[in-house]
Amino acid sequence: MDWLEEIALRDRIEINAVLSSKTIDDLKTDPRRGRADRLKRVKEQIRRLRYPRLAAAEEEIRTRIQALKLQPEIRLSVPAGLEGGRLQVEFSAASAAELRDAANRLARAAAAPQAAEIFALLAGQPVDEK
Amino acid sequence: METFIPQELIVERGSELSPIYRNLRRALPQVPVTTIEEAGAGALADARSPDAFGAAKKKLYLMRHRGEFFKKCPGSDGQVCCNYFVINFASNCPMDCSYCYLQEYLQDNPALKVFSNVDDLIAEADRTLQKHRGVFFRIGTGEITDSLALEPYTGMARELIPYFAAQPNVLLELKTKSAAVETLLDLDPKGRVVVAWSMNPERVIALEEHDTASLRARLAAARRCQDAGYRLGFHFDPMIEYDGWQADYQALLEEIFAAVDWRRLSWLSLGVLRETPGLKRRMRERYPQSRLLSGEQVLCPDGKLRYFQPLRVAMYRNMVRWIRRHAPTVKIYLCMESPEVWRQVFGFAPACEKELGNQMAPLA
Repeated sequence: MDWLEEIALRDRIEINAVLSSKTIDDLKTDPRRGRADRLKRVKEQIRRLRYPRLAAAEEEIRTRIQALKLQPEIRLSVPAGLEGGRLQVEFSAASAAELRDAANRLARAAAAPQAAEIFALLAGQPVDEK
Repeated sequence: METFIPQELIVERGSELSPIYRNLRRALPQVPVTTIEEAGAGALADARSPDAFGAAKKKLYLMRHRGEFFKKCPGSDGQVCCNYFVINFASNCPMDCSYCYLQEYLQDNPALKVFSNVDDLIAEADRTLQKHRGVFFRIGTGEITDSLALEPYTGMARELIPYFAAQPNVLLELKTKSAAVETLLDLDPKGRVVVAWSMNPERVIALEEHDTASLRARLAAARRCQDAGYRLGFHFDPMIEYDGWQADYQALLEEIFAAVDWRRLSWLSLGVLRETPGLKRRMRERYPQSRLLSGEQVLCPDGKLRYFQPLRVAMYRNMVRWIRRHAPTVKIYLCMESPEVWRQVFGFAPACEKELGNQMAPLA
């Protein structure tokens, strides 16, 4: 409810106008999804409306993580709200060979332009201005 | 800014002997005085008012302070600390900024109080400063009040400056949003007193910093202090992000550096708007239309909401770049930010709190 009030305050509109926007209305009435899933997606959309630039930055980072093609064996993630400025890396290995393979893949990923762009985004630098 | 005149002066018995009482009576002869035996917490509360915090600003208490005056600034968990000390000679403030943390911090004890036992304050400071002559102390009086907002009535800074100006190991910082510097101008600060202003563009002052001096008045006061031999400081804190903030803050910097000589600055600090969830609730109650509430803030590990990190790092980096155009070597520090944010803004983080504090000491 706080998010809705803050969107309404920021955009100088009524809360009802936020909830009856086409995007949210489409999510609320999507017949392909169950009730819990619809609610989750509505909440996500409200968060996107409340934090548009944060959501955009998170999406930019998510896109680049996917482009590095490390998942699912190596998981890259960023903290909630992008606080801390660090990329978290998780992987496991059952042998020295697996460990070496993961390290090699990570080394290649670290040299890719997307990796530099992820860190630039975390540091508030526009990627196209680097 | 409307001139603040308290509706009533409430004096705890025994405080009439204080020089602060004498100053108050001389400056406010028209204000009715009530004497009370002891200003316990119960005597100060006014639960009848729906906005007890706002109502508390209208009466001025003069009373003894029974605890310690001199404290280390508490900083914020996990954030780089600037090794600052505070002396609290008053509690609460006649100004009413919509973002002020005192709305939460003093929620249960909002009375506007000035402490009468200045001699105890100076004696306590003296014990510490004498005992640790090898330590350089940066001391501020603006933690839970504005250092100068009540100065025309209390003359408190005028009482304190001669003592601190004579100490070899201290810088006293008077931090304000007022223009009340008249009582300081004929004193000799001996390089030991920094008068510092919290600065924001006039648009922010008008919307959010209620009952404070205008930007023009603050700058005129800063210029007068500079001419009187004081070092100056400016705190861009809280920085507010909104459509057009870049142009407004650049114009603000233009005005500042046209008004004062940057070589007389001891330091500049930067800090974005931050509040606990509890303070945010208080702001909603007291200033429901404030657009500060709709910024893109997230909860940080120290329990405070701030603009999300890439956004505020970009704000800091821009400010540093704009400041450097005017003041190439002035000391700039971040207030209540993590080592990660320091590194992203400056390329380094102080190794420990003493390092940052020591960096500022020679700048006096």
